[in-house]
Amino acid sequence: MAELVRVVVVDDHSIFRSGLKADLDDTVVVVGEAHDVESAVAAVTDAAPDVVLLDVHLPGVAVPAGTSGGAEVIRRAAPAVPGTRFLALSVSDRAEDVVGVIRAGARGYITKGSSGADVSRAVHAVAGGDAVFSPKLAGFVLDAFGAAVGETASAVDELDRLSAREQEVMRLIARGYAYKEVAAELFISTKTVETHVSAVLRKLQLSSRHELTAWASARRLL
Amino acid sequence: MGWIPDSTLIRGSGASAAARASAWMAAMGSSAEGIRAADDAAAGVAADRTSPVPPVAADADTVARPPLVRPRDCVATGVAAGLAAHLGWPVWIVRAAFVALTFVAGAGLLLYVWLWAFVPWSPALPSAPGAAPGAESAARPRRRAPVAWLLVGASAAVLVAAWISSRSLVRAEADDWAWWFQTTLAGVGLAVASGAWSTFIDRPDPERGPRSELAVRATATGLLVVTALALVFGPLAALGPVPVFAAALAAVLGIGLVYAPTLIARWRDLTGERTKRIREEQRSEIAAHLHDSVLQTLALIQNRAGATSEVARIARAQERELRDWLYAGDAPRESDLVTDLRDFASALEIDYPVTVDLVVVGESREPAGGELAAAAREAMLNAARHAGGEVSVYVESRPDAVEVFVRDRGPGFTPADIPGDRLGVRESIIGRMRRAGGSATVLPGAGGVGTEVRLRFPAEEETRG
Repeated sequence: MAELVRVVVVDDHSIFRSGLKADLDDTVVVVGEAHDVESAVAAVTDAAPDVVLLDVHLPGVAVPAGTSGGAEVIRRAAPAVPGTRFLALSVSDRAEDVVGVIRAGARGYITKGSSGADVSRAVHAVAGGDAVFSPKLAGFVLDAFGAAVGETASAVDELDRLSAREQEVMRLIARGYAYKEVAAELFISTKTVETHVSAVLRKLQLSSRHELTAWASARRLL
Repeated sequence: MGWIPDSTLIRGSGASAAARASAWMAAMGSSAEGIRAADDAAAGVAADRTSPVPPVAADADTVARPPLVRPRDCVATGVAAGLAAHLGWPVWIVRAAFVALTFVAGAGLLLYVWLWAFVPWSPALPSAPGAAPGAESAARPRRRAPVAWLLVGASAAVLVAAWISSRSLVRAEADDWAWWFQTTLAGVGLAVASGAWSTFIDRPDPERGPRSELAVRATATGLLVVTALALVFGPLAALGPVPVFAAALAAVLGIGLVYAPTLIARWRDLTGERTKRIREEQRSEIAAHLHDSVLQTLALIQNRAGATSEVARIARAQERELRDWLYAGDAPRESDLVTDLRDFASALEIDYPVTVDLVVVGESREPAGGELAAAAREAMLNAARHAGGEVSVYVESRPDAVEVFVRDRGPGFTPADIPGDRLGVRESIIGRMRRAGGSATVLPGAGGVGTEVRLRFPAEEETRG
């Protein structure tokens, strides 16, 4: 935790950017800022930060209809900076906004109402290679992968359903448990919890499950 | 429209006419009676402007009489029955009076049409208990007589009469062209009226509907086509080309008019749809704008003010309201467990320094106001009152059961420590769930922080079946 994490903050509201900068703790260094898709791509490729804090709803000239500015930034900038991870920030908790940006490649998502400490923690987690799931996102994943109606993956590498363990982890996160608490509850290590969450994130990004792709193709996100 | 004669009457009846203006819009629906009035005018029947206006006079001198309204269960329009009830006369006398007055320069017919236009329907009866879905049909007037078919029949009869009179014209036994011409026009007018009636008045009626509308219109069209052909190719054309071709033209125009109501109705639908679409577009534009500006600002306020401060709570409540309005759209919200808990959560956030994170998984079939909802609300209230800060509420609806988890990060407690006289947890949550056939447990939260209440309620068929 002590090591410094370099971040670029992308948001079209300057007041939000300055507020966020003031709130982030000392271990997070802001090395760049951007206010629209084009400047964000430039700032990210220039600074090659560890983490990009990315607003989902971002203005830009050539954003294809149906996709969000945030997802577009990831699509354009990610190939140039392989070491950079993206963390989505949004006022919206609508599934299509959140999942759109996750499927574009974001490693997690937090709401703009989160405190500076929460954001800093999430930044560190993402920098360390973990996925950041809010309770709402965990709830959506359970819903979209049919966990509520009892669908369970039969093979380890199955992308369209969650394994029993992944469901347990998601349920606990949806109930407001932190990773550490999930680990204690299930008698597993925090590292294992993180592995499960990353696996779920991967499924979320790669699955061709109907619930995930139906709205995505309707909005031409794929 | 040929409805002008009445404008004087409207003026004459003053305030009551204004009050009934809406009834006029509703009852007229449109052109049927207008066209009939036009026929009368064409037939040379002058409007009798000095005809007495009994309803207005009656209104003035007696209060004890039932109000002048048209009953919803009626033969054709409810005018005769309504007037009879109002005057305290038998219905047949009123009907006979209308018919008799009609022979006095058409006064009866005119009075009938005027009353039809301005007398409102009786207020809808309060529907029988448990008849909620039928409420609409109870409010809709029920017409016993197949008026459209009667109009078609009358049209056919009048046209046949015109044809008979044309025979006598051909054989030069008579020379009454005016009568023949008026009769033909009246026949055409009646056919048009039947089309208009079936479109505007019968169509929304579930007992008749679009099929009968189509049948009426086809019959009326057939009648008019035969009339036009008979006029143009018949022997009469050679005798008096001008009136015959005028009548044939009227018949052809009549065919157009039979279909005009459909076109008007279609056009109305289209404009309605267009207006709706424009409203939707505007709404989503406003939503996008508010999303980018106001919601961001509200999020920022919450962030800067600290999650549990009063300012943040107000901002959060506003955000929730705005979000509901933006995304819920015009669709009425169905009341179930989830919406109930969501409303309760926003109320709690205003009253207590707490933020409630509600996550829902699965399709909820649990109704609002049930025992589970009551127990969940109690658990949320406890968390808000005794713990504050962040409260997580998780609702999962599975085929076999509905589970609700309420978790706080307060000082925590165990039920055993609570004195017996404190009813909150023991009665409102645990006891209530047990009585309802579910179960509840209250445990310390994960890692010993705070409290977690778990409620489980088996799916309906297991408990109540």
